[in-house]
Amino acid sequence: MDNREVYLDYAAATPVDPEVAAAMLPYFTERFWNPSAPYARAREVRDDVERARGTVARLIGAQPDSIVFTAGATEANNLAFAAVDGHVVVDVIEHESVLACAGMHERRTVRVGPDGIVDPAVVARAIKPQTELVSVELANGEIGSVQPVREIARVVAAERARRLEAGERAPIYLHTDASQAAGSLSVNVGSLGVDLLTLSAAKIYGPKQVGLLWASDDVRLRPLVYGGGQEAGVRSGTENVAGIVGFARALELSCERRGAEARRLGGLRERLCGEILSELPWAVVSGPKNAKRRLPGLLHVAFAGIEARRLVIALERRGVSVGTGSACAASRMRVSHVLESIGMPRPLAEGSLRLTLGRPTTEDDVDYAARAIVDVVRDEMSRLGLDDVTQAARVASLLGASGQVSRNSQGQADASSEVRGV
Amino acid sequence: MLRQKCEVCEVGYNAKRGARVFCGLSGGVDSALAAALLVEQGYDVTAVYMRNWSRDLPGFRCPWADDLADAERVAVTLGIDLEVWDCEAEYKATVVDYLVDAYAHGYTPNPDVMCNQTIKFGTFLERSLERGADFVATGHYGRIVRGKDGRVSLLRALDEHKDQTYFLWRVGERALSRALLPVGDIRDKAEVRRMCAERGLGVEAKPDSDGICFVGPVGIRTFLLDELERRAGDVVEWETGRVLGRHDGAFLFTVGQRKGLDLGGGPARYVVSTDVVRNVVYVTADHNSPALFCDELRLTDEHWISGEAPADGRYLVRTRHAGELRGAVLELGAAAPVLRFDKPVRRVAPGQSAVIYDGVCCLGGGIVE
Repeated sequence: MDNREVYLDYAAATPVDPEVAAAMLPYFTERFWNPSAPYARAREVRDDVERARGTVARLIGAQPDSIVFTAGATEANNLAFAAVDGHVVVDVIEHESVLACAGMHERRTVRVGPDGIVDPAVVARAIKPQTELVSVELANGEIGSVQPVREIARVVAAERARRLEAGERAPIYLHTDASQAAGSLSVNVGSLGVDLLTLSAAKIYGPKQVGLLWASDDVRLRPLVYGGGQEAGVRSGTENVAGIVGFARALELSCERRGAEARRLGGLRERLCGEILSELPWAVVSGPKNAKRRLPGLLHVAFAGIEARRLVIALERRGVSVGTGSACAASRMRVSHVLESIGMPRPLAEGSLRLTLGRPTTEDDVDYAARAIVDVVRDEMSRLGLDDVTQAARVASLLGASGQVSRNSQGQADASSEVRGV
Repeated sequence: MLRQKCEVCEVGYNAKRGARVFCGLSGGVDSALAAALLVEQGYDVTAVYMRNWSRDLPGFRCPWADDLADAERVAVTLGIDLEVWDCEAEYKATVVDYLVDAYAHGYTPNPDVMCNQTIKFGTFLERSLERGADFVATGHYGRIVRGKDGRVSLLRALDEHKDQTYFLWRVGERALSRALLPVGDIRDKAEVRRMCAERGLGVEAKPDSDGICFVGPVGIRTFLLDELERRAGDVVEWETGRVLGRHDGAFLFTVGQRKGLDLGGGPARYVVSTDVVRNVVYVTADHNSPALFCDELRLTDEHWISGEAPADGRYLVRTRHAGELRGAVLELGAAAPVLRFDKPVRRVAPGQSAVIYDGVCCLGGGIVE
């Protein structure tokens, strides 16, 4: 058996592409000047930052001056929420940074279907006359659901039109966190129809702690960080020049490769899924069934009654790094809020692995990882005295009991439970 | 002296193979090796991570995640179950509240002593026995001796530098009879790390975690200031009664303390005593001031491992973890036990433990008045 290192957690972090690193390097040493300084050298660096802003703007179909560079997606999400005071609507499987920001507003939280997809009609019913912001991520990083952001944009536009006709002055904006999506989906703000969009360099083979918030002309952003007035006063602090230049280059590469890479990742994901299921047919794959509705390189798979946290350690010993849906989330031992929200029974959620493939992943990596996963699951099964027959029966009863996950996604939640208000 | 000789051959934990052991795993080196040794010796081991205290706030990364992950790594490597037991309520009631209350009254307590008595050899032991355990095990450095007469006693660890019997004096013989301390027989800590590395347990490089078990990265001062109100008071020179400066709460200071006195320069000064009622801290600049020494200690709340008080006489005494063992005469008397030292010793803060040994055998001790 070869001793390979296989990293399958690209939703958590991506390596900086060598081309991106090369673009960044000069700004640490010879081109170190402060973009705000008055001499010609510094002006060059300022121009480089503005060129990067222009590149990013072109790639997302926006105006350069509507982009604010931040220290990562979390800050960008915070900045988006800081633009409004009033009521917000979010879905229940958003990233913690969005849920935490929403938690500081009066809000409604909409549920998602068992496949993790938000129903635009449910969003429409959750919007109140005083709602100022709707925030729905473009793609979920844990189970891979791609949200119908365009359709939700139409819902928001309809509400905006209604208010206009009714002479109500409260604004309403749509924000989407596209951090997880940018590697495989278009993030053109015009075609998405959003008013605010978050991106992260760290998820697209760029540096960590670099992100951006794009805001349409209709939105007035309010700063969270005060000081020298950089980024049009919205985000003070000397620009992260190397990071911004790297971000622009990373986004360029992502956009160039997006189509082909998405197809390649989709193929690898099917291969990985097939290899695991052929050996362990009782494993439960979650997320949307329709490939168009999920991230191509993400496989969420659960092994009932087997602790994923142990699998992670056993896999690490085989050189395979994977994510899991059960972790010490926030403070208690608990399964992720995403898995809870799609109604996944605990024994499945606690036994779930999130496998995310990336640019460096090869077929050999996938084959090796599949073998390792099957082996460590089998090891745990023999330690616990489980076999395929009892496992299959257990899964059948778990899924039967919950009525979720395996059923198709159109199980319409009843009106009383689809929305949670505060 | 009496029981020690006949038991030399019995040192260790010669329980039967296949006996069911619940082993506390903290994520540290010592408990990891304890669990590994028990597995190798053929015990049926279940690992337990005790979640005692988490000053966790929503939105903050939980402080025990890394320790739990390490414990999990060890359990997976050994192929044993790991359970997470929530002991937070008991810990809060018996250790944290005790600690805060003691400080508020001007004492300097040992939370580890309470934790061992009420949690590790209290709640953990009881719950384990209820679950059908024959024994519990921990990574403590100490040795439990099971005599032919059925009596059980506690000896200092072979590694005298790491010996932790100072923290175990309030554990009774009955609890010890159900306890295994597998690393107490190992000669030194380097050996423990080497043995962990050999077994691929993945924790061998972790630093030692002596000291207050729960406050963790938060210092005791920060912790106390969350629980008790600051109160301005005078820092008074012991010899002269002169006011040298101000402090922010006498409960924050302890005998012998040098740091944290903000007296605006001058010589280093040491806390001689504190008066939490009048909120005064007495200090001296003389490191050899007689006020910093004592030749006897009065004890309260004494506890004897065997359940019976020892006879008056000469013993060895330790007044801090890994501190020097000093000769002293114990007089039980009618009121409170008194320890008279052969030579004056540095004063011990009220609330600390004085632990009494007969040779290598830990007899018990008391809380310094």
